[in-house]
Amino acid sequence: MSEPVKIVEKKPIPSDAIVVQGLPDVGLVGLIATAHIVSQFNLQEIAYVDSNLLPPIVVLHNGLPHSPLRIFANKDLIAVISEMPIPADAVQPITQALVSWVESKKAKITISIGGMPVPDRQDIKDPKVFGAASIASALKMLQEKGVDILKEGYMVGPQALVMRYCAEKNLPAIALLAQSFHNYPDPEAAAAAIKELTNITGLKIDVSQLLEKGEEIRLRARDVMKRTQHEMTRMKKSREYDLPLYV
Amino acid sequence: MSRRRKRSIFDLMSEYMEDFRTWAEELIESVVAERPSWDTRSCCLEPLCNVLVAIDEVVVTADLPNTNPKSIRVEAVGEDFIEIRAKMKRKLRFDDFGITHRRGEFSSFRCQVRIPVPVDPEQMKIAFKRGVLEVHLPRKRG
Repeated sequence: MSEPVKIVEKKPIPSDAIVVQGLPDVGLVGLIATAHIVSQFNLQEIAYVDSNLLPPIVVLHNGLPHSPLRIFANKDLIAVISEMPIPADAVQPITQALVSWVESKKAKITISIGGMPVPDRQDIKDPKVFGAASIASALKMLQEKGVDILKEGYMVGPQALVMRYCAEKNLPAIALLAQSFHNYPDPEAAAAAIKELTNITGLKIDVSQLLEKGEEIRLRARDVMKRTQHEMTRMKKSREYDLPLYV
Repeated sequence: MSRRRKRSIFDLMSEYMEDFRTWAEELIESVVAERPSWDTRSCCLEPLCNVLVAIDEVVVTADLPNTNPKSIRVEAVGEDFIEIRAKMKRKLRFDDFGITHRRGEFSSFRCQVRIPVPVDPEQMKIAFKRGVLEVHLPRKRG
């Protein structure tokens, strides 16, 4: 039987790189932020994910077909991006395969960007960003950089599993979660997460264009958001609102 | 000869819930997702909406980027629906989304949202912040 998830490499993959993951989730924060990073650094497509767990979809760009789940890079930075939500049933095998691939490429660190839904998002001018880490050394690094730590609670979805599988393999990974709308695309939250990424990594990323194009991004992202909302319901994303049992 | 295990009430409930979940997912898939979010005849885009049922009110929100706030209209339609309409600040074409194989332009948002519990539309209050419309509908008592 063929592998359920295959990462097909098109070009040489850099080692010792920072990996940024932006898979569709709350407010599409990770997707919007990572798409902006790909554009800012003019990253080139180096690999894509092939899996019979994904719907039979290709994305056309300039008339040519592409996998919706692709990996871009330059020599220091790798960005994983998906132009469609990962089906709830496929999140586990796909994140597992991505973490194994990242391990095989000896990445420096994996940073998952996402949103943290807040009911009063309309009243928040500057969304706060919270961090979580897979291992103690990564947590210490976040604390040293002054990032607010997500100390207790639940994480659901792709970032949650990236953290779990990296923890199992003792790989450094962090999640940066910006306060965001739950069901609406949130470019302001994406910009806030990027600013924290800049603080942590030293990568210089200008977010002014992202903020200027905010309304346009929200219009373009409506359909992906709607599909993502459906998958979030299936993976019980609302459990992130739950209060933890142990204190 | 194998003996069939007698199913408990919990097994039956679990199976029933699983069937119900599958049915509900299929229903959502067919009703919500499988139609375009645009209508070229009415030149309307359907906004993303959300309904929250609280103890004393129902809060409907709608994402309305590129909207002229003064043009927003919210009306009750029968007892179970509200209709949201808003004009865009500038018209959009499929070209603006990079799509060249369709023709049409959009000048407004429009949607009808089902309200799942009885409310008093006369007492409706609306707010528009950060491009998101908030409609507060007090629930009917008794």
